[in-house]
Amino acid sequence: MSQRQEKREAHSRSAWRSHLGAYGFMAPAGILVIIFFLIPVAIVLYLSVTNLASSNFTSDLARMEFIGLKNFRTLFNDQFARKIFFNTIFYVLVTLSFFNVGLALIVSLLTTHIDRNAGFFFRALWILPRITSPVVYILIWKRMMAEAPFGIINQFNEILGQPTFNYVSTNPWVFVVLVNGFIGVSFGMIIFTSAIESIPRDLLNASLVDGSSKLQRIRYVILPLIRWPLLFVVTYQTLSLLTSFEEILLLTDGGPGLYRTEVWSLTAFHRALSNYFGNAQWGYGSAFAVLLVFIGVVLAVIYMRVFRFDELVAEPRVEAL
Amino acid sequence: MSSKLRLALVFFLLFGLLAGAGLAQDSVSITVRCKASPPEEDWRCNSFAVVEEQVEAELGIDIDLNLIQDNAGWGDYKNEFVLASEAGEAPDIILSGHEDIGAWAPAGFIIPLDDVIGMHSEFDDIVPSLWDSHGYAGQIWGIPQDAEARPIFYSKLLLRDLGWSEDDIESLPDRVVAGEWTFADMLATAEAAIEEGIVDEGNGWWHRPSNGPDFLYYYFGHGGEVLDMEGNLVVDREALVATYELLGGAVASGVLRSDIIGLDWNEVWHPTVAQADTVLFAAGGTWNWPNWSINYVADKGGDEFLFENIGLTLIPAMATGNAITLTHPLTYMISSGSANPDVALELIAAITTPEHNNKHAIDSFHLGILNAQLESEAYANNRLLSSAHYMLDHTTALPNHPGWNAWSNAYFLGIQAVETGEADAAGAADIAIAQMQNELGDGIAVR
Repeated sequence: MSQRQEKREAHSRSAWRSHLGAYGFMAPAGILVIIFFLIPVAIVLYLSVTNLASSNFTSDLARMEFIGLKNFRTLFNDQFARKIFFNTIFYVLVTLSFFNVGLALIVSLLTTHIDRNAGFFFRALWILPRITSPVVYILIWKRMMAEAPFGIINQFNEILGQPTFNYVSTNPWVFVVLVNGFIGVSFGMIIFTSAIESIPRDLLNASLVDGSSKLQRIRYVILPLIRWPLLFVVTYQTLSLLTSFEEILLLTDGGPGLYRTEVWSLTAFHRALSNYFGNAQWGYGSAFAVLLVFIGVVLAVIYMRVFRFDELVAEPRVEAL
Repeated sequence: MSSKLRLALVFFLLFGLLAGAGLAQDSVSITVRCKASPPEEDWRCNSFAVVEEQVEAELGIDIDLNLIQDNAGWGDYKNEFVLASEAGEAPDIILSGHEDIGAWAPAGFIIPLDDVIGMHSEFDDIVPSLWDSHGYAGQIWGIPQDAEARPIFYSKLLLRDLGWSEDDIESLPDRVVAGEWTFADMLATAEAAIEEGIVDEGNGWWHRPSNGPDFLYYYFGHGGEVLDMEGNLVVDREALVATYELLGGAVASGVLRSDIIGLDWNEVWHPTVAQADTVLFAAGGTWNWPNWSINYVADKGGDEFLFENIGLTLIPAMATGNAITLTHPLTYMISSGSANPDVALELIAAITTPEHNNKHAIDSFHLGILNAQLESEAYANNRLLSSAHYMLDHTTALPNHPGWNAWSNAYFLGIQAVETGEADAAGAADIAIAQMQNELGDGIAVR
């Protein structure tokens, strides 16, 4: 072996050794992703091409009957699939923009611009919906919204001589978005607040010295500096909302009427896991879940492109200088 | 203590243990899972505890009985059994709706009982018509636990306000049976009550606020069928349209609320109907009565208040001309994973007696399943049961078929469509039929 080759091999070994640490650090997260994402996706993908139901249920993959794309054909021929799809888009867009990102950002900015203890108190209040059990949380909402004489809001309406309403029936989307939005605010609020708090004071003070108003400081200093947390919250919360359904299940169960508040993940649950008369359709429900995974992955890639993820995770230029 | 004495003591101890083990009765473990709402339905599971010693003595074995009473939603309850069966951890006895036979029998989760039913004379006395809803593929797969009727509850209080005499009110069930007072009469009475301001618009008649077996009797009442002679799923378009016309028409005339589906059972439906002062007619189930008595009108006198202000009758005749109801018997099924199916069946036989079933029937207002029970003093003298038992002569039942869930979900979609005004009756029928055809393919015939 020539000296040159020996050198090259030694270099390669040293490069592998130097990367070993990085792989080691990534391994726990990688293993978790494989166990809790890749393997379940593969299983759901397989279930979606079978006719698995309670009436032929088995956990043995080899015994499941392969039916090709029949479930997907049934899904695309379903007269309500389009409605449920657009319900999902509406629900995610409205909840995300008004609450999970919009209100979260406003609460963070407001509570970081007032007395520190007061800010802490208000943020703690906003965390309450998140830490309350979903069932208890929805019971509280249901008790508030119930029709007269049972609901609290309607009791006030009666006292004030106003007409009473069955709010779940008349304004289901308003309450579905409010119920989920109040929970969603806390996540973005915590991330944004910590990001704002970590901006060097020098930068914030310098902008004031330069004559900027508080609004200008938010627009030109704070928001650009929290772009990375914004990307993270938008991406994470989009995917979270896409798959969340438990509050809708407990509040409206997708109704009233013809799938008025039914979202895609709730349909997957209804088909695969929950049916009043039993005989759940695991295979068909999995077809809904597979499409949800596909949409989630596509959206994640789009977000990374739009927010220029590569640049955000690049070496910090300040330290590089 | 000398070493010899110690040795002798150890010897006797060991001998005693071995002898004890040899003489001890065989011990078998039996797990029973029951869907039951406490406290009125506790006997569904608790009866097994009462007969445990009796069965132990009869079989000469020691039974390690594990009773699990569950009040989960039906969907979750049924899935639990499916998953547990596949995991090899299913209970020996599962109590569920008879329609589950249609899914669990072909899946192999429960065992057929034809060959062993004859070994227990207790089963000979079961009301013959109840066996009809326990069959699948020519075999019997469960033992009836109870029966019930789904009647119309009428407010005597509001009918009095409407000018009905006590005779009119008390004779209503008989007039319904005779076909003299029909569903059309019921709707007309409700409309009159609204016009006279006795009830608010939408409170003339309430049906259940969520999907469930009741809705099928409107379809049956219009001559519809779910299974053909060969046991295949069918849908009758004419009956479907007529059913949706009835429901949509009731909303249009102001008798029925357009938002009835989605009302909360416990927050709104039960507390409102039980008071008897708001809703004129309500389609419910016999078991609602003890629930109302215990949970909603106990402070007003419980049963006495209900007897004074609420009556129950069959569903008045629709197009077929016959008053009907629907029975949804719960059934004890034996898991195919049970190591001791013979002991499980012995336990079920031991509680299938008038003495034990009466306790459940009286506490929960479910109808009896045994002929002897109907003649027993406790049952015959019970005011509630005696006022409803005749309904079993006019009953219908759900089909046992794997495609029933797809059929019923599509049927319910049509109901939602027509009641919320999102489709007319013909449009709702189109929606339901398209949904059935999409999901059942060749498995459904449209007539």
